[in-house]
Amino acid sequence: MEFHARNLADAIEARLTGRLEFTDHDRLRDIVALLDAPNLRRFVVDVSGLDFIDSAGLGMILILQEEAEQKNIKLIVRGPRNDVKRSIDLAKIGEIVSIEY
Amino acid sequence: MLSDVDRGSLAAALRGSYAALIEVVSDDEPAGDWTAAALSSTGFYLSLSTATSFSLQLAALISDELVARAVLSVEQRSVVELCLQEAVANAIVHGNLGIPSTAKDHPEGYRVFSQLLNERLADPLLRRRRTDVFTRWSGRTLDISVADQGAGFDTSLIPTEIDTTSRSGRGFVFMRALAGRVAVTDGGRCVSLRFAL
Repeated sequence: MEFHARNLADAIEARLTGRLEFTDHDRLRDIVALLDAPNLRRFVVDVSGLDFIDSAGLGMILILQEEAEQKNIKLIVRGPRNDVKRSIDLAKIGEIVSIEY
Repeated sequence: MLSDVDRGSLAAALRGSYAALIEVVSDDEPAGDWTAAALSSTGFYLSLSTATSFSLQLAALISDELVARAVLSVEQRSVVELCLQEAVANAIVHGNLGIPSTAKDHPEGYRVFSQLLNERLADPLLRRRRTDVFTRWSGRTLDISVADQGAGFDTSLIPTEIDTTSRSGRGFVFMRALAGRVAVTDGGRCVSLRFAL
């Protein structure tokens, strides 16, 4: 997985590309670190460029949700498609994370 | 027999339609269990070290090869890939590297988990443990088994339903939802998946 972060008007967006899977735990801490930006209220994880996600990758999204919640930041997962959408739906991630399709 | 395996060399070897591909990590390595493997022209067998199987997106490679051999359609591929990914990840992380899923279950757990992964992948004994994948297909079914050399686990603890808040445990739920049949044998060291073709 690769990611690219950018500042939006009222949020930070991390755009993920490639595959988010069990070998990517080292990258997670780099994304979590983005939540330390001052006065951040919204954090968008754009997964529209992801081709594949496994259960470990979904666990990483839940970790991001927990970390954001602790900092009173709203986490939004944006644009899941194809296999990524199927995995998110199968795991019912939408019950605890805001998903924008 | 393969040595110095990377993604390209393994993909090329798979294209060679061998019945068995076995990674040799060093010259003094014993013969190992693969000598008893039943070989078939409608399947293949891979035996890789943990270090190699961690590094080269094994589930995607095998799924690509099954499409290339016309065993799977592109539509069937994604289901097989996700199930195989979960089985391979379990074999590597929880099996061969012996990292319990509970490692994630506390604050900062993902940092602990990541640190454990890196430490154990650097352990010369653990990184040489084998991840074995057997594939076999007939006209109507595809069977894939993934075996590891870990300590196994209590299979009665496998979750049957999604816990949306849990940081782990979704892999088996995915496999059971998507594969036609899932069997866990050898005290948790072998997961067998069956798919209708």
